[in-house]
Amino acid sequence: MKVGFIGLGSMGAPMALNLMQGGHQLFVWSRREETTRPLVNAGATRCASPKEVGAQAEAIVLVVTTGHDVEQVVLGDEGVASGAKPGTVIIDCGTIPPDTTRRICKELRARGMQMLDSPVSGGETGAQAGTLSIMVGGDASTFDRMQPIYRCLGKTILHMGESGSGQVAKACNQLTLVVMIQGIAEAMVFARANGVDFKPIWEALMKGFAGSRMLEVFGARMMNREFVAGLPAALHHKDIHIVLDNAQSTKTSLPAGALAAQAFNALMAQEGTRWDSAAILKVVEEMSGISSRDRT
Amino acid sequence: MRINVGFIGLGIMGRPMALNLLKAGHKLRVYARRVESMQPLIDAGAIACTSPADASHGSDVIITMVSDTPDVEQVVLGTQGVIAGAAKGSVVVDMSTISPVTAREIAETLAANGVEMLDAPVSGGDIGAIHGTLSIMVGGKPEVFARVKPLFEVMGKNIVHIGSNGAGQVAKGCNQILAGVTIEAIAEAMTLARKNGADAYQVREALLGGFANSKVLEIHGKRMLDRDFKPGFKARLHRKDLRIVMDTAAKMNISLQQAGLVAQHLNALVGRGLGEEDSSAIVKVIERASGMEGAQ
Repeated sequence: MKVGFIGLGSMGAPMALNLMQGGHQLFVWSRREETTRPLVNAGATRCASPKEVGAQAEAIVLVVTTGHDVEQVVLGDEGVASGAKPGTVIIDCGTIPPDTTRRICKELRARGMQMLDSPVSGGETGAQAGTLSIMVGGDASTFDRMQPIYRCLGKTILHMGESGSGQVAKACNQLTLVVMIQGIAEAMVFARANGVDFKPIWEALMKGFAGSRMLEVFGARMMNREFVAGLPAALHHKDIHIVLDNAQSTKTSLPAGALAAQAFNALMAQEGTRWDSAAILKVVEEMSGISSRDRT
Repeated sequence: MRINVGFIGLGIMGRPMALNLLKAGHKLRVYARRVESMQPLIDAGAIACTSPADASHGSDVIITMVSDTPDVEQVVLGTQGVIAGAAKGSVVVDMSTISPVTAREIAETLAANGVEMLDAPVSGGDIGAIHGTLSIMVGGKPEVFARVKPLFEVMGKNIVHIGSNGAGQVAKGCNQILAGVTIEAIAEAMTLARKNGADAYQVREALLGGFANSKVLEIHGKRMLDRDFKPGFKARLHRKDLRIVMDTAAKMNISLQQAGLVAQHLNALVGRGLGEEDSSAIVKVIERASGMEGAQ
């Protein structure tokens, strides 16, 4: 297929390469032109604007950061929609508010186009290996038609329902993760304040009901005080606030989510962009006056 | 090797645990406040006693399995308590879930009398007790743990020595924090999905494939969606265990925000008369707060 690709950051670039390896013809645009170079070297066509991408491609994949960016790139002047023909499909892989997705999708449908909200999870490793989980919202027959694209990007590809429901699923995922991260941090602080080594507790808990992938990975990072590798806390921070904005507009009470958001705010206030989400442990420790320089 | 065991507390957990010890060939002296709860044990060959002190006479190991912190204090240190009957060199093994602070204090008092102590709280519920598959988290001296291990192996499967006295209770506290916070996280995520009109079953399905996966999402998440709240682990017991965690946190100045929040939600649930339901019924508290009562 003729596939447009906009947003070639640490997630987008390997995803675009996987599409090329899958035999698709790529049309790329990026705000920072130098990020298009590896793709152009691999045979992609560089476009002058999102509008030109829209004019060339049947389907356009977006991997940009915020809801505002998506709106700009799709509906703004020189945006994808201004160049695209009716029947064009936009696949938005960013994590943005469900409301924004629904609004953009409605606008596009009025012009005879479709948009599938397709947020992913699995991080850079999943993007490189083509093993992302993709949660899709939007028109079901369009979803079926886009399978050749999805299959190059991910492994678990699920249609969640109407437009916005992919973003809702991703929001549920992020809400669950951030609350669990703080839960793990609290358990660790509780053990430490009682003078008990967490390692054997972690081993005991992994085998029981409290066991999870998160406890395995983040528990280990917290014990080893590996706070800079892995998943940037800034992304969880952004995502939990998307969740809380949605809770505000849908009048949903999410007390644990709100509490975790506050912990992430506190982390962001401490050179936030450096940290992995495991560093939430430091926030929880500091609340109890436990110095983070201590040995765990 | 036959061990002379005193067993105090023959409730829903203690009775099957004691029966398993008898079946494995150990000699039991039993005591329970209500005479009728001793009967099944007497039928199986145990000796009925008139007090905790009486059950401790001539026993190498004295196991207590009672409800709460004051009960253990009473049974072990009270008049006609274990301490009045236990021989020097014998071991008291408390398998109840109680305050780690009290566990350490009791251990000190016993040590002054030449009696050893292990705290060995369990998880796995009455089903684990009946089948001898409990998880047992043990605090106390390693050599004392080694002496009692043959008995633990009759009652449980996943047996971990965590550290010194009180460490088993700390591990159990960590377990209850993590289980509670994860249940809360999933209750909020499922509510967010439903309030947005998304198919919560599909959302759960998508989340099971990724980082948010956990045993709690698998089992409690399903209970929430199926509206099947028969226990499992009763909300009032989870509430009691988290009260112990929060009491410890207050005593030791540990800030545990998420655990505190979940404890409040369990209060709300028990306050609504739903304490006999599984703790996954926390979802009802979240739903009520979001005006979704009676939904589904």
